Amino acid sequence: IPKMFSVSHKTVFVVDHCPYMAESSRQQVECDVLTKSRAQGVIPLAPVSKSLWTCAVECSMEYCRILYDIYPKDKLVSSFFLHLFILQVNYIVSDSEFHILNSWRREDQSTHELMSALAAVGPPNPREDPECCSILHGLVAAVEALCKITELQHERRTTLMDTADRVANRGRIICLTNAKSDTHVRMLEDCIQETILEQNKLAAGSDRLMAIQQCDLVLVHIHPQGEDTLVSDRPKKEISSLLTSEVHSVRAGRHLATKLNILVQQHFDLASTTITNIPMKEEQHANTSANYDVELLHHRDAHLEFFKSGGSSDINLNKFAYMIRITVKSSEHNGTNVCFKVHQFVFKKLKTDMSPLCCAGDLHMAGTSTRENGLKETITLKWCTPRTNSIELHYCTGAYRISPTDVNSRPSSCLTNFLLNGRSVLLEQPRKSGSKVISHMLSSHGGEIFLHVLNSNRSTLEDPPSISEGCGGRVTDYRITDFGEFMRENRLTPVSESSHDPSGKLPAERAKAQLERYTRYWPMIISQTTIFNMQAVVPLANLIVKETLSDEDVLTCQKTVYNLVDMERKNDPLPISTVGSRGKGPKRDEQYRIMWNELETLVKTHAGDTDRHQRVLDCIIACRSKPPEEEERKKRGRKREDREDKAEKNGSKETEDKSWQDSERLKGLLDKDEQESEVIKDSPDSPEPLNKKPRLSTEEVQPPERAKGPVSLLTMWTNRITAANSRKHQEFIGRVSSVNNKFELYQQLKDENGMDVHENGKATR
Amino acid sequence: MPTVVLMDVSLSMTRPVSVDGSEEFQRKNLAVHGLNMLFEHMASNYRLEFTSLMAFSSLWDLLVPFTRDYNTLQEALSNLEDYDKTCVESALQGVSNVVQQEWGSACPCQVVLVTDGSLGIGKGSLRHSLQTLKHRGDDKKFPLPFPFPTKMYIMCVANAEELQMTDAMDNLEELLRLSGGDGQIFSMEGPLCMKSVQAMFGRLIDYAYSPFHAVLHCGNLSSDVQVFPRPEPVVLDEEVEPMPRSVSTDLEIIGFIEIGDISSPPVISRHLVLPIAVNKEVDEVGTGATDELEEEPSASQMAGKSPNFCVLLHGSLKVEGMVALVQLGPEWYGMLYSQADSKKKSNLMLSVFDPGAEPLPWLGKISHLGPVSEAAENPYGEDDNKSPFPVQPQVKRSYAQNVTVWIKASGLQTDVQKILRNARKLPDKTQTFYKELNRLRKAALAFGFWELLKGVADLLERECTLLPDSAHPDAAFQLSHAAQQLKLASTATSELVKNGLIYNSLYLCGPRWRQHLFVLNIVRCL
Repeated sequence: IPKMFSVSHKTVFVVDHCPYMAESSRQQVECDVLTKSRAQGVIPLAPVSKSLWTCAVECSMEYCRILYDIYPKDKLVSSFFLHLFILQVNYIVSDSEFHILNSWRREDQSTHELMSALAAVGPPNPREDPECCSILHGLVAAVEALCKITELQHERRTTLMDTADRVANRGRIICLTNAKSDTHVRMLEDCIQETILEQNKLAAGSDRLMAIQQCDLVLVHIHPQGEDTLVSDRPKKEISSLLTSEVHSVRAGRHLATKLNILVQQHFDLASTTITNIPMKEEQHANTSANYDVELLHHRDAHLEFFKSGGSSDINLNKFAYMIRITVKSSEHNGTNVCFKVHQFVFKKLKTDMSPLCCAGDLHMAGTSTRENGLKETITLKWCTPRTNSIELHYCTGAYRISPTDVNSRPSSCLTNFLLNGRSVLLEQPRKSGSKVISHMLSSHGGEIFLHVLNSNRSTLEDPPSISEGCGGRVTDYRITDFGEFMRENRLTPVSESSHDPSGKLPAERAKAQLERYTRYWPMIISQTTIFNMQAVVPLANLIVKETLSDEDVLTCQKTVYNLVDMERKNDPLPISTVGSRGKGPKRDEQYRIMWNELETLVKTHAGDTDRHQRVLDCIIACRSKPPEEEERKKRGRKREDREDKAEKNGSKETEDKSWQDSERLKGLLDKDEQESEVIKDSPDSPEPLNKKPRLSTEEVQPPERAKGPVSLLTMWTNRITAANSRKHQEFIGRVSSVNNKFELYQQLKDENGMDVHENGKATR
Repeated sequence: MPTVVLMDVSLSMTRPVSVDGSEEFQRKNLAVHGLNMLFEHMASNYRLEFTSLMAFSSLWDLLVPFTRDYNTLQEALSNLEDYDKTCVESALQGVSNVVQQEWGSACPCQVVLVTDGSLGIGKGSLRHSLQTLKHRGDDKKFPLPFPFPTKMYIMCVANAEELQMTDAMDNLEELLRLSGGDGQIFSMEGPLCMKSVQAMFGRLIDYAYSPFHAVLHCGNLSSDVQVFPRPEPVVLDEEVEPMPRSVSTDLEIIGFIEIGDISSPPVISRHLVLPIAVNKEVDEVGTGATDELEEEPSASQMAGKSPNFCVLLHGSLKVEGMVALVQLGPEWYGMLYSQADSKKKSNLMLSVFDPGAEPLPWLGKISHLGPVSEAAENPYGEDDNKSPFPVQPQVKRSYAQNVTVWIKASGLQTDVQKILRNARKLPDKTQTFYKELNRLRKAALAFGFWELLKGVADLLERECTLLPDSAHPDAAFQLSHAAQQLKLASTATSELVKNGLIYNSLYLCGPRWRQHLFVLNIVRCL
């Protein structure tokens, strides 16, 4: 489990600015490459060489570049598995005084900032008195900087309150200097140790300072090419419980660059991947293409699978052996030995002897030791011909930001531009034989390129039961299209953190509140609803779910209602007619009554929100047709009163809680309706639940699932009689007018026993 | 999360258990009884779990490879034979092999080790394995911890007192610790009998194999669901946030996002979301057992026929190509989507993101995703042709901003050649000439590489002398001006350096210069 505030949370670079650093690195760069046609008579420019200072600065900037690419400052967490810390770099230039080039503040964390600060410092002055300069000033400043609290530490300490002491303060100092001797190095270490102790005392009494719990010193001694070093390499060792120190003695120039590249990988758990076989063509030779390789750095977890496998599984061994490519980058003195060891190791794997040798740990060890000695380790993945796959949802177990090792080389920039233009590339594991295994994908999101890890193992979720076999799987008339429309209306969009909502709710909470409003009345199947099948209701249905209505909105709703009244007056058919109606006259009235009831139900769930919502409801109540029979009206009036009572009770209260209760109450009502329909279905002699299509033939009367189950003689007889009778007579009025068998049956039962019998007796949720 | 049942079939398992009166049992019988109970439970409540059965003594044998057919597993249990001594290490090596062969090294796995607590003698015994742990070569490493995340359940057909009399308990605890510490040791309470073995396996079932039930909410629409496999608690940071976080039993949908926008996000686990009928009526459905038997098929038929929100949601997600963003707990999110397998069966799937406020950088903070209706202008466009995603980071990455790196000589050479090529096409290329020159100059100043500035100044002066007679007079003027500025910069004091960047760009027009020789294009082979 990663620690948020590990040593890598804070890195301080201390670069020596003493006169000696102005010395040439003695590594020459030819920058005047003459083209053949112009070569005659022109004397080429003498090659230039970088100073030790230039080498140190450009390599440490490269360290920062990779770091900021892979762990950007404005992201607390960048990707899955290891979750990442804000990594900050404090850059200190040291000479007689010291220049602090930036702070831990997030806005200071960019290469741009550092570059302009460095330009202002300029190279060291070789004529200055070397006695006046010391790296010590810089190192003391570095320890002080480590004590200063970062924004993330501050945030965490504030949120944790009681357990604020869990926030640790660790850091790393990378010192690029030219030390005089091993004794000089020891003196520097002692000085840092003392400074830490002093600073920790100071920090104990301060809010903005934190005592240092661990400090890793990485001292890089730089010397010009061709000069013997007076400082020896030394692996990491513990100076005290607070301080560890390691010394690297490196020649300036590309060796230093390689060293810092290795260090950034070690310090930030990075690994290298080389993408091979990238087909590229030069613009002038469009007909031919060549294959290029590009090396990328990223978090090492992108290869977790490879690092972990090995061990017993010989398949993995095979795969693994093939994946690792080791290239000898330079032949340092003691490189040969290690080199041999590594090759033997790989060789063993290639032979794939089945003995359970070489676990993950070994390889990692081998990897680190090779790095130390200038060997380079990278995992090779093969370019797969791109295909458009943005709508495909891959099973991806990790995504890690990348940084090209050689950022401005032509193949690198060609690859990154290709990806930045929005294309994704699948990567496969190179194999000698067998099927293609696609294990990774490169893809950019918003100008950042990620290496996605794709699952290439067998899934434990294979062959699940289909959703159509489970609950609700047999229902065929879901409002799929309507819900799709609902989803589009409830899509999300980023809201800037600065835009403040008066309700004080976060945008995601407002999104949930919108979902709540939109679903107060939302029948799931087509045969459960009339109004949502009617074009004429759409304007009202779209508006009523809004949090607030304008006067214009209310007007639109009212118009919708008037329009419905008009339709009723003209006796226009309703979509409900598909639910088993025949003939004219009173039946059409019944249809409208059902429609009005449903509309009222919808609007009532919102009526309590604002006065304008209430006005829409008032309009409906005022305009809707009254039921024809006195008896009916009484009953319905009673029911409506009952509902209104409850609505009033809840509607007056505005809080979220209450509106939730309100919706719960509504749910209860709806449930009850559903239950009633279920009751009907359960009973053998009740009619078939209504279908979308009008009931025209007798076959449909016989419910198919009844035929399967045990059927009593009575049921069979009743069904037959019902079927026969239905051809002869006009349909029973209640059956015709019922919506999904909901409303009218059993009302006398309710009257006798009180309304709640069924509700209490049967709870479905 | 697949399960490996590792059954001890050494001779010690045949030790009889003293039971007053009646029949005589062996420990093996008790173990088999317990496992049968586990398999029966899984068959009815956890049937999507893949389980394999391995028997071990000094050797190990895979009796049943990973399967969901619990009858086969039970049958294999009834045909167990007795072998020699217990050797846990080789058996664990076997588990490691079998699991990796089938599922790779990333898939979390559960191991149920059933033993009597007598862990072998001499070489090959667990005691010996643990004692020699630190003195091993790379080729003889102890198989724990497994490369894959492991939950280890050790079922002892023995009671705690018995285990503590020897060092068995200590050794088993060490074994659990080595496996990563995730799991538990179960021992029997009271006398060794069928009842107490049932109780022990009952505790295992409650601990590890109880189905995870939750309610999926979308506003007022909701559905009871089983989430399979059970979502595991996650520890974020041992130091700062040591408490494991668990997925809430209320899964709340926040809103919806297009598949193209969410763009294959990294997930820590995937789960099937299966709608279930929570039957609260069971208590009230009369007392007759026969009635219940007859009711059952019709009850499940009823469940199939009453509308369920999951099915509606799944259908629309599939048709629209969208995912639902769902909140799993405080600052923890996931997504629901339709997943089709090769056989055209599709299902509602939940993918769990890494816990945190911003699991996917390209969505920004999830808590700052709001409803589209609040935006002044529809971010998806009137014709649905735009998208507010991905969220752009504030700072461009190095590869997206034309950085200057001269670590390799070729980088420096390229930059110098670019300037020279433009210099030869002055005054047409004045704009690009200065752009490239300024870029080089900025970097040279930052790196303190003044020698380069002098060198390039010399090169520009040479170019000036090489200009043909037909050249535009302005070309010579620009070249000498640039050379002069570079020389000035390379000798300047730091105060001048700060202000001394070349701003001179006299001719701001002219066609964009293209780098013919240096443009590479990725070949599109579609």
